[in-house]
Amino acid sequence: MTTALEPERTVSVPGEVRLEGVGVRFDFDHLGRVLTPALARLRRIRATAWGLRDLDLQIEPGAGVAVIGPTGSGKTTLLRVLGGVICPDAGTADVRGRVGSLLATDAGLQAPLTGRENAELLGVLAGLSKADAGARIEAMQAGARLGAAFDRPVHTYSEGMRARLGFAVIQVISPSVLLLDEVFEALDHEFRAIVEDYVHELRRRGGVVVAAGHDHVALERICPGALLLDRGHVRAAGSFAEVLETYRGAGSVAPEA
Amino acid sequence: MDVLAELAKSDIKMRYGRGRVRAVKWLLDPIAALGVYLALIVFVLDRGETATGLSLLCAIIPFQLVMMTVINALQAVGLRSSIIVNMAFPRTLIPLSSVLTESVALTASLTLLPIMMAIYGVAPTAALLWLPVAIAVTIAFAAALAYPAALAGIWWPELMPFGVSLVRAMFFLAPGLVALDQITGTARELLPVNPLTGLFESFRDAVLFGHAPAAWKLLVPLAVGALVLAVSLPVYRREQSEFAKLVG
Repeated sequence: MTTALEPERTVSVPGEVRLEGVGVRFDFDHLGRVLTPALARLRRIRATAWGLRDLDLQIEPGAGVAVIGPTGSGKTTLLRVLGGVICPDAGTADVRGRVGSLLATDAGLQAPLTGRENAELLGVLAGLSKADAGARIEAMQAGARLGAAFDRPVHTYSEGMRARLGFAVIQVISPSVLLLDEVFEALDHEFRAIVEDYVHELRRRGGVVVAAGHDHVALERICPGALLLDRGHVRAAGSFAEVLETYRGAGSVAPEA
Repeated sequence: MDVLAELAKSDIKMRYGRGRVRAVKWLLDPIAALGVYLALIVFVLDRGETATGLSLLCAIIPFQLVMMTVINALQAVGLRSSIIVNMAFPRTLIPLSSVLTESVALTASLTLLPIMMAIYGVAPTAALLWLPVAIAVTIAFAAALAYPAALAGIWWPELMPFGVSLVRAMFFLAPGLVALDQITGTARELLPVNPLTGLFESFRDAVLFGHAPAAWKLLVPLAVGALVLAVSLPVYRREQSEFAKLVG
């Protein structure tokens, strides 16, 4: 049966990820504020923390990789690098194919805008033409399953409703690389099943899925592989079960100081 | 273009709401400013001149665009933080969307010009054809200021009120309340350095005085705008890849 959230019939480009020696650095001033390179010329750097360090990663088409680890281990930073949201300060990141991402609890939505307005905005920002985004609004509405709430401001939405809308937009832009950060935690069981079906279908067609979070049961259902991050470094990589075992046995895995 | 238009469209809805109230908001600002400054000139300073209200409006309209663009740009990156941390998109367009948003608001305030011309009995002349040029130069100048304003807004969010005050001060360091030919002495010599002077006077020349603006009145704001852009755009381009670290 075809649901509104199934990937389009073809993934235009097979997804692929290659990271080599990737590092993401955060510089802070004496008040703990983040410094950019330009700001660092005006204020003295008092502390530096690496969100990711010397990270090598290769994800082939059709793969699903869960990123696990404690809070502050670099999971979100890694996903942001893959999504092109953050440029690495060291190394190279090569992500092939259109990226669809849900990397924030508010799913990139603008609270004062309605679901419909957000869907159109995010569609265009993700690479659709205005005409294309307009033409696919109905598909987004059907996919989000929000009923009349689709035309209400997003600030009236619950976290789960936001995730639904964000995911419906992703479905329409037809990504080759899907990035999910703690998405399952916000979704009800009905929509979780829809997302899982979508992810399996996407991977079957050559797409790549990278998902982070703490709901390991849900992650294992969509990602056969996993990566354990610890203070910005890869501590373990392999099958989900093996990596989870390492994580559970690793008492010293701690958040970045 | 689609991205720019969509950013501006969403910006208009977020800042000005929807429906008929939006147009009222766009008109209220220039009318309120006009009323306050008119009262100041006529009753407090006793400096009434020919068509005082129209002369003031010729300064207020371009100033509103510059001022509102700076205010918009100061908040532009922060307002879109949820998108910035979620997906990649051409962030260089964010300040441009600020000026586009406020240019739409400018269109509403422009409707006040024919009303004030009618009130003061000022007939349109061929010089009115210079008005679109003056508007274009104003938009270009505002766009140039939008880039450093967007950076300042994300680098020093706590100093936003100071930035707004700085731009407001530029109004009083330009012939905003009275036309340049009403000013004498050293001030008359120095005021043209302020790019707003050229903008205000260009509007007055085209609408009120009925002659083409002198070249300097258009070239000074363009030159200052080009200089600001030449300095700020490369910095903005480098910094935009760091925005997610700042707002995330």
